[in-house]
Amino acid sequence: MHSLIQLSIVVLLLPLLSFVILIFFNRKLPRRGDFVGVGILGSAFAISAYIFWQVVVQAYDPAFRIAWDFTWMDLGNVPGVGSLQIKMGVVIDNLTSIMLAMVTLISLLVHLYSTGYMAGDKNYGRYFAFLGIFTFSMLGIVLSDNLFSIYIFWELVGLSSYLLIGFFFEKQSAADAQKKAFLANRVGDIGMWLGILILYSQFHTFSFAEIYANLAAGKFGLSNAWLTAAGILLFMGCVGKSAQFPLHVWLPDAMEGPTPVSALIHAATMVAAGVYFVARIFVLLTADALHVIAFIGAFTAFMAATIAITQHDIKRVLAYSTVSQLGYMVLGLGVGAYSAALFHLVTHAFFKACLFLGSGAIIHAMHHEQDMRWMGGLRKNMPWTFATFTLATLALAGLPLTSGFLSKDAILAGAIGFANVEGGGIFYLIPLLGFFSAMLTAFYMGRQIWLVFFGESRTHLKPVEEDNHAGHHAHASHDAHSDDHHEEHGVHEVSWNMRAPLVILAALSVFFVYSPDPLDGGKGWFMKMIPTPPTVVGAANPQKGAMLAGVTAPLHAEAASPAVHGEVAPASEHDAAVATHGGATAAGAHGEAKGGHSYSDPRQAEVVHAGHAAHYTAIYISSVMVVLGLSLALIVYVFGIIDPDKTALAIRPLYLFSLNKWYWDEIYEATFIKGSMVLARILTWFDINVVDGIVNGVATLVRKFAFLNNSFDKYVVDGAVNFTAFTVNTTGAVLRKLQTGKVQSYVVMLLVLVFGYFVFYFTRLIH
Amino acid sequence: MEQLTTIGLNHYLTISAFLLGFGLFAVVTRKNAIVILMGVELILNAANINFLAFSKYNGEMQGAMFSLFIIVIAAAEAAIALAIVINIFKIFKSVDVSSIDSLKE
Repeated sequence: MHSLIQLSIVVLLLPLLSFVILIFFNRKLPRRGDFVGVGILGSAFAISAYIFWQVVVQAYDPAFRIAWDFTWMDLGNVPGVGSLQIKMGVVIDNLTSIMLAMVTLISLLVHLYSTGYMAGDKNYGRYFAFLGIFTFSMLGIVLSDNLFSIYIFWELVGLSSYLLIGFFFEKQSAADAQKKAFLANRVGDIGMWLGILILYSQFHTFSFAEIYANLAAGKFGLSNAWLTAAGILLFMGCVGKSAQFPLHVWLPDAMEGPTPVSALIHAATMVAAGVYFVARIFVLLTADALHVIAFIGAFTAFMAATIAITQHDIKRVLAYSTVSQLGYMVLGLGVGAYSAALFHLVTHAFFKACLFLGSGAIIHAMHHEQDMRWMGGLRKNMPWTFATFTLATLALAGLPLTSGFLSKDAILAGAIGFANVEGGGIFYLIPLLGFFSAMLTAFYMGRQIWLVFFGESRTHLKPVEEDNHAGHHAHASHDAHSDDHHEEHGVHEVSWNMRAPLVILAALSVFFVYSPDPLDGGKGWFMKMIPTPPTVVGAANPQKGAMLAGVTAPLHAEAASPAVHGEVAPASEHDAAVATHGGATAAGAHGEAKGGHSYSDPRQAEVVHAGHAAHYTAIYISSVMVVLGLSLALIVYVFGIIDPDKTALAIRPLYLFSLNKWYWDEIYEATFIKGSMVLARILTWFDINVVDGIVNGVATLVRKFAFLNNSFDKYVVDGAVNFTAFTVNTTGAVLRKLQTGKVQSYVVMLLVLVFGYFVFYFTRLIH
Repeated sequence: MEQLTTIGLNHYLTISAFLLGFGLFAVVTRKNAIVILMGVELILNAANINFLAFSKYNGEMQGAMFSLFIIVIAAAEAAIALAIVINIFKIFKSVDVSSIDSLKE
């Protein structure tokens, strides 16, 4: 067992240890044990950083991969299936080590931040315990080398997000939000499980490496449509966890959780899990499945961006921007811009965590005011928060010199390249939606910065009755702060333990962390270390009835042999170059694949190639879009040339459509929830009248029979017993009288008997 | 007439039967344990008379020998029985057999 594997298992188990300690002993520890959580996460991050250093910096090999597994369950020889084993294992490659470092770092910062934000909460210790189990679950997903253990940790993430979102469970809205999140995730998970079963039914293994080796060897026994279905079903898990349309509805409501939790769940971990999972199964997705994924991602990005521009709650804006950015990542995976999507996953994790923690600082300083309409002018009071929040905002908007610019542009370039390769008019919709969303992103983030930090304080404008309402809410959630009335207290900068995470995260949102060239992420270490893996599914040509023709003609000879041996990552720099938009290699691959049999492979190569060509186009268009969006925000909110309220009135239907989140909640309420209720009522009726009827009928019959049985028992069986007893009793009473105890009476009896004998004897003699 | 003047076997048996009757009567009806013992002696002697009478009219000595044994055994029996009666008296402070009915239990 490789020492890095051992260390990664230690990293995995440390947060679990934190959970176990804190859930049982937090009341016995000083400070309710928050130092345990922070300390353990600190060591977990230190080890992860060491792994990251060893793997990404020292090895610097795109194909780095070490794995270890053991047989978890051996079910022996199952009839009809063959030998059945379920294995568990750990895999470490570049992606894993980057994710490990990212998750533990953000979790550590969230722990640290929470010591300030959650101070005085009555369930303070339990909060840190929940953060621990959440981090454990997420690390489990990151390290898993097979679908089965990913599914286990996937559900654990679902559970722990349920616990954290509903942390203030006394609030009805929080309790509703946690249920909503859990149920929406369940819908996705069912699909994911079905996808896993499709693959399992074919290969009898859950291991990624074995599944891909089998796929590459063409052992998939069903039609190509089944493979597409498996891909889309697995993607459904991502739709639930990463809040893609149509299951995105849970994420904005999940803002009911404590704000640091929002940072953890909605930036680094849970929503990233979905994208990470799609990246893990990327090689088995067929072209059709990728099309579906790309369109869902593009639509989600666009829809969430349009909703975000009208929201008033500071956290809801960020929530919808998260949904929108996740849409970008999914779009990126869908168009085959694998490296770019994962790049965006990491950069987004940092700047979005910074934004959420910054909004938490604002909410904390504003005494639990979340409505941006009543904020304003905070830049003077909270300079640190202002600076970091603005930097993260620019990264989210995708302004050059930020990390967000690098990753978003790489995705958009991939999208343009994809549209060029596919050549169909409808495929241009994807980059179009992407660019338009980029503009909307810049607009709503500009709006948010202006409303929160600039201008004059608008606290006094807040209607009084709403004030009481909000005060009541704060009361329910934060007893420690409920007695301060916020008008009597000024707004102050937050303490160091909440400021430090903001600064660290903001520093990680700058371009030079990832790439020396502020305009090209492809030159950075990230895109070099996370190359696009060669596919293992050359899609079949259904008309010819061939099952998996492309597998026998892989993209590269070098890529073919590791694929057969279960190694998914490409083995040479050759492939790394492909991933970094190396046009020449892609063209060569293109030519080779043309004579071959794969549809998916040349498509990927072409996307990469076209992505290179489209790169500068993407930079220009997106920069223009970002500037356009920001200037629109300036025009509307700074210079006041366009009055937002009048505009809203002028396009009232559109405004309401956006404000009410496209009415998705109402649509779901009217269809699925009402439908479920009607179904439930029908089932209740069935239960009461039919099932209960049958049960009651049976019960009546049983009672009748029991009555008969009882009578038989009482009169026949008991009668016989009692009669016997009575007889014996009576006989005994009679015979007892003979037993006088007096010797003389016995003598008399003896005489009588002797006399009787003689009489009897002599009468017989006479006869 | 000769029947009346000559003592024959029947006379012996008749006396013996009477003796037995008296003995039984004493055993069954008397309350005093010592009187009951006396009744038992009467019964034994009734048996002795029977043995001797049959011995004489049979012309053999077996009956006489038997009656000698019975006398010896009766003496032993009387000794043991009187010892028992004394013990009974010690335990129950009475020799009234009608009041001694602990056999019932």
